[in-house]
Amino acid sequence: MLVTVTSRSGKEVVKGGIQLSENATVKDLKASIHKRTGNLYPERQRLSLPLVSGETRPIVLDGDKRLCDVFPEGSDHIVILKDLGPQVKYSTLFFFEYVGPLFIYAMFYFLPLYKFVGLLEKRVIYPVQTYATIYWCFYYFKRIMETFFVHKFSHATSPLSFVFRNCCYYWSFAIFIAYFVNHPYYTPVGETQMYIGFGLGIICQLANFYCHIILKNLRDPKGQGGYRIPRGFLFNYITCANYTTEIYQGLGFNIATQTVAGYSFLVVAAYIMSHWAAFRCLVQK
Amino acid sequence: MAGLAILKRIYLAVYNWVVFAGWLQVLYWAVQTLRTSGYEAVYAAVERPLQFAQTAAILEIFHGMFGLVRSPVSATLPQIGSRIYVTWAILWSFPETRTSPIVSSLVLSWSITELIRYSFFGMREAFGITPSFLQWLRYSTFYILYPTGISSEVGLILTALPYVKVSEKYCLRMPNRLNIAFDNYFATLFTLASYIPGSPYMYTYMIGQRAKALAKAKKSA
Repeated sequence: MLVTVTSRSGKEVVKGGIQLSENATVKDLKASIHKRTGNLYPERQRLSLPLVSGETRPIVLDGDKRLCDVFPEGSDHIVILKDLGPQVKYSTLFFFEYVGPLFIYAMFYFLPLYKFVGLLEKRVIYPVQTYATIYWCFYYFKRIMETFFVHKFSHATSPLSFVFRNCCYYWSFAIFIAYFVNHPYYTPVGETQMYIGFGLGIICQLANFYCHIILKNLRDPKGQGGYRIPRGFLFNYITCANYTTEIYQGLGFNIATQTVAGYSFLVVAAYIMSHWAAFRCLVQK
Repeated sequence: MAGLAILKRIYLAVYNWVVFAGWLQVLYWAVQTLRTSGYEAVYAAVERPLQFAQTAAILEIFHGMFGLVRSPVSATLPQIGSRIYVTWAILWSFPETRTSPIVSSLVLSWSITELIRYSFFGMREAFGITPSFLQWLRYSTFYILYPTGISSEVGLILTALPYVKVSEKYCLRMPNRLNIAFDNYFATLFTLASYIPGSPYMYTYMIGQRAKALAKAKKSA
């Protein structure tokens, strides 16, 4: 069959269209488009059907579908191509998001940075500040390890611009929090409160890790897509238990360290994760 | 619901004309004072209507958020933010800045711009008419008044800077139980720096709005 590939404005993107076998899938079409255009690798392409009158959202074409099933009876074989821009793997995105805070926090703990804002060089280091550094750095180390060895990602890629946007978010808050917890004039909380905080944090990190294992095992080993509802452990009670444990581990850190910076990060992160969870709940229904 | 639409229109009509009246007072007293007493007395003469009219503009952020008006929050927030900052965090907080001649250029730029803007929207909401002369003013005077207004804002912030540093006003120092600190001097420098990307952004936004408005006017003519 001959497939015509146009942009959203109607201009033909691949001159003369693409000739494919009758059993070809959307994936084959994307591979052909990549060959013809050179720079548009499949992850950069979003293929959809032309909008029928009355529709506002286009139907995006799924990779595994056969082309003959995708086009409505008797219609022209036209697909609309949108260039999603340069893409990066999710693991790349996550790595850069997490590696920043890991090193930034350690810098504020180990290096004499505060003299640059006119403060004293020598300072008393409280135990809580040392534990906080270990906790924070281990936390982001854990996240990096999970990114490469635990998580199985659905969409292969994410836009490059997300790297800059997300890193701004993570790295800025890391600087904000690390600055105040390691500050020469930092006021520690009582010992009991510190132990409660870190204790809660460690328990929730372990729980969070287990949630990630459950989620990883949901994915079909053959790599078939589709959403499955997680079961077992906390997922029997909470839709997105992985986010819940994430939030409570952050709460543990803040109970132990007590800074406005830390709590504000917790509030923003919880807000963002609640949005994701609400969407997930919707999908589950 | 038709009732809701009418309510919205009445509210916007009242809002625009009330704030217009505020700015009219500002312009009147500014000009009067310049003619009789001189620039040092301008702030004292316009303080109350200025604070009223400028602070009322905060409502416009909510108008955009709740869809009462079409302006995106990304354009209204920096504009109103800088205005409120100069009105309260600079002029009201640091009286030493009030006798500067820059106050006059600031107040004149702001009031003329706002009079045009509020009367334009007020006409549209209350009477359903958009006089082409008013529209032309709204989308043309900014070419001069944005630069004069922005320079005045920056000038006043610079004037206040030494007083900000010395007075330590609004500063929060450590140690404290919340482990937070705020240095007003750094924050003020940061605000000044934000004018560097902010001003071209607002200026080009208005140029874009002008092109859109004139294209629309041509189509309907």
